[in-house]
Amino acid sequence: MIRPSATALAALSLAILGSISPAAGGADTPRPGGVLNLTLREDLPQGFSIHETSTISTVWPAMPCLSNLVLFDPLKPIESPDTIIGELAEKWSWQDNYRNLVFFLRKGVKWHDGQPFTAQDVKYTFDMVREAPDAQAKLRISPRKDWYANVEAIEVADSHTVVFRLKRPQPSLILMLASGYSPIYAAHLPVATYRTGCVGTGPFKLKEWRKGEFVELVRNPEYFVKGRPYLDALRYTVIAERGTRVAALQTGKVDVPFPTEASKTIAEQLKKAVPQLVVTVAAQNVSDNVIMNEKKPPFDNPKVRLAVSHAIDRRGLISALYQGGAIGGAAMLSKPYGVWALPDRELATLPGSGKPADEKAKARKLMAEVGYSPDKPLRVEMATRAIAIYVDLAAFLINELKQVGIEATLKQVETAQWHAMATRGEYQIGANLTGIGPDDPDANFYENFACGSPRNYSFYCDEQVMQRIAQQSRELDPQKRLALVQSIQRKLEEDAARPLLAWRVDYWTVWPPVKNFVPHQSVYNWGRLQEVWLDK
Amino acid sequence: MKTYVLKRLAIVLVTLLGMSVVIFVLLRLAPGDVVDILFSAAGYVNPAEKQAIMRELGLDRPYWRQYLDWLAQMATGDLGKSYRYDVPAWQIVRPLLPVTLELGALSIVVAVLLGVPTGVVSAVRQNTFLDYGLRIMSLAGLSMPSFWLGMVIILALVAWFGWIPPLTYVRPTQDLRLHLVQFALPALAVGYRSSALIMRITRSALLEVLREDYIRTARAKGQRAGAVIWRHALQNAILPVITVVGIEVAFVVGGLVVTETVFNLPGVARFLVQAVLWRDYPVVQNLVMFIAVVVVLTNLAVDLLYVVLDPRIRYGE
Amino acid sequence: MASERGTVGALRRFVGRQPLGTAGAAVMLLILVAALFAGVVARQDPIATDAADTLARPSVAHWLGTDHLGRDIWARVVHGARVSLVVGVASTLLGSGLGGLVGLLSGYAGGRTDLIGQRVLDVLQGLPLLILAIVMSAALGPSIVNVVVAISIPIVPRAARVVRASVLAIREMPYVEAALALGLRHRRVALRHVLPNTMAPFVVLGTAQLGSAILVEAALSFLGLGVPEPYPSWGRMLSVSAAEYAQTAPHLVLFPGIAISLAVFGSNLLGDALRDTLDPRLRGA
Repeated sequence: MIRPSATALAALSLAILGSISPAAGGADTPRPGGVLNLTLREDLPQGFSIHETSTISTVWPAMPCLSNLVLFDPLKPIESPDTIIGELAEKWSWQDNYRNLVFFLRKGVKWHDGQPFTAQDVKYTFDMVREAPDAQAKLRISPRKDWYANVEAIEVADSHTVVFRLKRPQPSLILMLASGYSPIYAAHLPVATYRTGCVGTGPFKLKEWRKGEFVELVRNPEYFVKGRPYLDALRYTVIAERGTRVAALQTGKVDVPFPTEASKTIAEQLKKAVPQLVVTVAAQNVSDNVIMNEKKPPFDNPKVRLAVSHAIDRRGLISALYQGGAIGGAAMLSKPYGVWALPDRELATLPGSGKPADEKAKARKLMAEVGYSPDKPLRVEMATRAIAIYVDLAAFLINELKQVGIEATLKQVETAQWHAMATRGEYQIGANLTGIGPDDPDANFYENFACGSPRNYSFYCDEQVMQRIAQQSRELDPQKRLALVQSIQRKLEEDAARPLLAWRVDYWTVWPPVKNFVPHQSVYNWGRLQEVWLDK
Repeated sequence: MKTYVLKRLAIVLVTLLGMSVVIFVLLRLAPGDVVDILFSAAGYVNPAEKQAIMRELGLDRPYWRQYLDWLAQMATGDLGKSYRYDVPAWQIVRPLLPVTLELGALSIVVAVLLGVPTGVVSAVRQNTFLDYGLRIMSLAGLSMPSFWLGMVIILALVAWFGWIPPLTYVRPTQDLRLHLVQFALPALAVGYRSSALIMRITRSALLEVLREDYIRTARAKGQRAGAVIWRHALQNAILPVITVVGIEVAFVVGGLVVTETVFNLPGVARFLVQAVLWRDYPVVQNLVMFIAVVVVLTNLAVDLLYVVLDPRIRYGE
Repeated sequence: MASERGTVGALRRFVGRQPLGTAGAAVMLLILVAALFAGVVARQDPIATDAADTLARPSVAHWLGTDHLGRDIWARVVHGARVSLVVGVASTLLGSGLGGLVGLLSGYAGGRTDLIGQRVLDVLQGLPLLILAIVMSAALGPSIVNVVVAISIPIVPRAARVVRASVLAIREMPYVEAALALGLRHRRVALRHVLPNTMAPFVVLGTAQLGSAILVEAALSFLGLGVPEPYPSWGRMLSVSAAEYAQTAPHLVLFPGIAISLAVFGSNLLGDALRDTLDPRLRGA
């Protein structure tokens, strides 16, 4: 059920000051002290430079050291415009029917190196991210440039007021600013410093990054929220071997798992070995999907693409690969985690969601129309990354496609080449994972389905859909917007633009002393950890 | 003797030069480069941006220029800057060296301590059940993948004790006991394998010597078997053992790679694999050259030791 | 009573004198048979998943249990034998063959050719086996052919050295001098007279390297650089997936490792016995 959002109720409503009482998480009162032990599956690829990467491997260890203008309330597991709280912004307000966003910034905030934080830092950061022509600095890579494509200019009204002027109304902008992907960088430091270290305004300061070994952050005694953080320190140990990571969690060397890794089977295994572990279920906003290159045969033919979508038994996949620990859906995150999903009865009618035998028959019929059958199959090459989760997914897909007349051989592509290959379209069909920052249609559609977007690996381009995407982006009425977003999802699945296979779910298995560790339905937005405390 | 040493050193230099070419070429053959990996962390590749970064890192220069620059850097002791971390490669590698060197040394110590005595016993009691038993045990060590041994050890530790060794490096100065605990198991995993080879060499070298005439003569003269073995036989068996230890250094490195990965030890070998996957050319090139230098110098030392210890052997055909 | 000479007699003597070697040969033969007749030895499909029956313990239905996707482990181990044997044998043959040729040329020609050949071998040998294989595998990309090439390269110098040492010894022998004096061309002498006498150490080296090749393939697969899907590979069965489920399903980790160990063990036993039989004077790796 979708509640009308606050932004619709009052166009000029002001947000409330960002101090929260730690109500959720237990009856005890939080106590300061303690070191939380976490883990990383690989060393940070670009240091703490969140703006130059799109991976949880950067966001997870870097979030505690940085701050946003606004953030999703860490204690509320389902993110929405109502759960946005202020961080560096004390108050904000939409003006002019969602065309201008004004932020009134906190005063007296200092960077970890002692320099004062001002509105100039905000302008500097976002001009750089959106690659404004007069930007003062340049990122090596700006993967979320398009999030701010609608920004006309960013103005510094005074030392603690900044205005985002948009070309057209876009209510989603505030959600993107609330994502863990949108921290503020210091204008007085070169961008390169974020690749080797972290000077932020966040609750924790970087103490040491021993390359390949661990990252240690310690409490920032001058954090702008008094009484936070509770923890003395955070220690992220790099453990490259998945088996060793599980062993570390089981033996208590590590208190919480790495995001996107906690599968249902592992959680059950851990709980059996250590019954007192606490399990929380949350989505990741990461999906398994199929990318098909529409620029080249055979996947330029919509019938073949649709056949692929019908052939893959969604429920079977969830059962086989996740033992039931995932959910089906369409392009936007499914309920109960996401709010933009198609209604359940409609999801059940999407390709691949019906009875497997019927669906495979439909697929075979489509393939027959193009001249192929299981006896005379279409031979293709399926590419995927040379990582276990991708390979398992691809193996399952190959098996499904075999039954409808598509013989796919697996090509494992090393990380060094995967995105280059996908961006250049040097593949036919691929087993893919996609992670999206906030559960927001703008963030999802523009990145993955817009004509010309570098991450639109399928090269899907439909004028009508583009118009609808633009329309929903400026739509202020929540009901109308939802209807538009749902119609877009319907069309995407009909066109088999990027058939959605499953939304991944994490079974967070955590040691009992860890409190206020509240996973959200997106892994990218809640790693600040300023509310977490240890009951020891 | 002096000419021999000089000649050998000259050969060593030529060999190292050859290795540098091989490593340089092989690395460049691998498709994709560090910029592609940086982009993969961002989720797409933009050709224009890529060009800019490649220019920044100096990757757009012709290969021969890059090679010569690398040689020049090595000659001045500059080990370049890691493409991935943007800091001098030496700065990252330096803390890793003691870990790997210590693990390697401990592994070889374990190997010798396990291998030599078992080899001696096996030779003395040739063709008895003890001999067969020891040979089978040592052969098992040679046959088991060392990473598997490591995995099984960790599995057993978690299952039986609910405990695994520390996951970040514990300095000997911090906590000596914990440090030794951390290194004991991986050293055993790698050392067991090497001990097998050392045991076989010790055994066969000892057997050969025991057959020698002068040993038989000594025994016929009535000298006690124990004295005979320990004085004459071992002296002569030591040479092949030293040779094998030299060869084993190269093998140990391979074992170290997987063992460091499984036991999460922050060593050079594990880092090298990561650097290869990241196409971090400066780091890989310099690390591999370093390993090559160690191996080549060890072999040289072994050869020289040979010449010193056994004047009957002459090289230089 | 049949004569004790000839192949049968030789075999019989071998079995009698080298019980361990015979055992090794038997193990290798079993593995070979399993690999060749994988479909018969293991009835289940090694790549068919079964969501209802994941991480099952060994049972009558699944002799070695199932993995996290419900695939039968016995079938995967048996089919994995194919990959390990093919890669092991192919890379050993390629490496030893190439190395033998280089060693023969280097040893026979002598002089400048030998000097240069020696340096090239030094270069290849100085780089540790696994490191070289890793770099080569990354350079060539994941495919079964590339893995074979990657593993064979480090074998070349070792084979070359062994053959060269043999050739150096034989070259000085009187009958070779006689052949040359009679006017026989060098190539004929090299191939007809010198080469056959290097066979013994060559065979010994081959069996030793086979074990090593299987281990390197396993390590490469474990690190993610080996033979890609869908071929089941013993090494890959041990990576990621096995380790994380190891607590509930230790059989995932135990059986592929035992398979690797058995194969290498068998080839080592056989190699030792062959060495003892063919050339008892030979010592060393």
